[in-house]
Amino acid sequence: MMNYIAGRRMASIRKRRAGRGFDNSMLKYCVKRLASSLITLLIIITVVFVLLRQMPIEGYFDNFEKADQATINAKLEQLGLNDPIPVQLFNFLKNLLKGDLGMSARYSVGAPISEIIMKKAPVSIKLGVMSMALALLMGIPLGAAMARGKSGFWDRFGTVFIVFINAVPAAVYHIFIQMYGTSFLGISMLYDEANVITWILPVFSMALGNTAYYAMWLRRYMVDEMNKDYVRLARAKGVDSRKIMMKHVFRNAFVPMIQYIPTSLLYTVSGSIYIESLYSIPGMGGLLVDVIGRQDNPMVQAIVILYSCIGIVGLLLGDLLMGLIDPRISFVKKEGAR
Amino acid sequence: MERETILSVRDLDVKFSLRGRKLNALRGVSLDLYKGESLAIVGESGSGKSVFVKTFMGLLDANGWIDGGSITYKGEDLTKYTTEKQWLGIRGKEIAMVLQDPMTSLNPLKTIGAQIIEAIELHQNLHGEAARKEMLSVLTDVGITEPERRAKQYPHEFSGGMRQRVVIAIAVACRPQVLICDEPTTALDVTIQAQILHLIRDLKEKYNLTTVYITHDLGVVANVADRIAVMYAGDIVEIGLCEEVFYEPKHPYTWALLSSLPQLGVKGEPLYSIHGTPPNLFYEVKGDAFAPRNPQALKIDFVKRPPYFDVSPTHKARTWLLDPRAPKIDPPEAVRKLATEGVKGYA
Repeated sequence: MMNYIAGRRMASIRKRRAGRGFDNSMLKYCVKRLASSLITLLIIITVVFVLLRQMPIEGYFDNFEKADQATINAKLEQLGLNDPIPVQLFNFLKNLLKGDLGMSARYSVGAPISEIIMKKAPVSIKLGVMSMALALLMGIPLGAAMARGKSGFWDRFGTVFIVFINAVPAAVYHIFIQMYGTSFLGISMLYDEANVITWILPVFSMALGNTAYYAMWLRRYMVDEMNKDYVRLARAKGVDSRKIMMKHVFRNAFVPMIQYIPTSLLYTVSGSIYIESLYSIPGMGGLLVDVIGRQDNPMVQAIVILYSCIGIVGLLLGDLLMGLIDPRISFVKKEGAR
Repeated sequence: MERETILSVRDLDVKFSLRGRKLNALRGVSLDLYKGESLAIVGESGSGKSVFVKTFMGLLDANGWIDGGSITYKGEDLTKYTTEKQWLGIRGKEIAMVLQDPMTSLNPLKTIGAQIIEAIELHQNLHGEAARKEMLSVLTDVGITEPERRAKQYPHEFSGGMRQRVVIAIAVACRPQVLICDEPTTALDVTIQAQILHLIRDLKEKYNLTTVYITHDLGVVANVADRIAVMYAGDIVEIGLCEEVFYEPKHPYTWALLSSLPQLGVKGEPLYSIHGTPPNLFYEVKGDAFAPRNPQALKIDFVKRPPYFDVSPTHKARTWLLDPRAPKIDPPEAVRKLATEGVKGYA
């Protein structure tokens, strides 16, 4: 154990000497950043919770019309809804720490919300991760090729693609992909957990938007970098253009991109409403709309909070990643340095 | 006085295409660069001095091309180079460059050590520990203390002067024959300028470099140059040893340039400035390009481009004033004063 600790310490010292690494200032920054995320989250939970309390109480009953006053009162008492709101909030937070999001009231009566989500999330996560990987795999080479041959074939092709994806409503091309894709592959229109081939089209459709997004930004950042003096100097010192692209331009252009990747990953894995309903995938995508339609107050509350969580974690990870790879970001207070 | 010529440019024409129009950036420039010398190219913005040296390394922007003439380096005509591979034999290896703005000429995401090692690996064929050692020694050469620690830092942790030292270290690490310094001190503090110029001069001795300075600061020139070439509107109008150009200038543009030195002005009187603007290089320039701005221009200046007239074996100028038939026109008073009295801080 002592050896291990000493080893870790040495490693950390070595890293610090190497200019940059996970040193003290970085740790401090992480903790600070984490704390501010938690506070943000707490504020969001409070706001969402208080707003949901303003909703009609029908949202807590599956048979409100038929129930008499006494039953209603008993149920409200049992759910703790007659307590003052701060008490309710405190109890909710206490349960949240235990991973208890409450019970569904109308969507799936009496079922713990966490269980409902746990059942649906894996499907969305699986497809989301795949589509994200595909988007990176297609978008980054496309963006790099566009930047490299400015106004060449790939640049024109990519521009058309990006404009198409952004300008044409997604519903249109998703339907076409489904119609022609399934008939081309000779498979049924719907998603089938057991048949991997049926995963291809939804994953591909989901990846299109992100692909266009990455290609567009990577091209833009790379063109920015290519026009900088250090690229000129690298050329003047005799580095060949392929190496300049890889070692200087691409790497530097990727830094501003890295910040958005966690957020877009998290949003992708949290499911796409449209594609999931198109292929009737039993994922998370349509859940929020569903439960709002059914006025299931506890579930609306839980899912809205979950999505805010995802957003906050994405931003947090983006900032931390960015800090890790960009040496210009300082974790210590500015000391008059530029 | 016969010296070995390392680079010889003849009648170089460079054109740029800008919004469908052709710009004549260089109009038949000729120059011999001698081994081991230090040449300064002076001229105002847009006179083509940067474009001129960029052609030596094949670094013209994509919309520019060499339209005629030759650049001979070690027996090879560089204007015939077409592929990047050919240029890679020149860039860094033979000719290295220091750019104007040290704040932007280093990659912000790489340690300065890594950026120097990149050059060492490319041109000295050293790798690993040997390359690192060489990098540290180059850093010491350019006057960076604690090279071990500094090498692991990023450009943003350096001041402007220090960064320019690093840029110079990169250039020197290429072990070039010729070092081109494109306005090496323009972006720096006045106090740092002298240090950087001294440094380049020292390195020139140590590594047997031939140096070319591009500048519009005659102060820089006086401090470092053996020879001066004065450029105007895409051509060298006068070239000679430093003293010759300072004390016996022949071209009216050189006169005007020298007269506008603040140090030559008389206290209480407005500083001399050259009237008008340089010619529009989108059009063919007729005669002497400086004639329209020269109040004492001769008639022929507007009609026929002057050839070079030799003033001495090392000094020539492109002006009709040197023609035996030309009327005698004296240089302005400030220039004559410079010749007799000299100026503090200059030459």
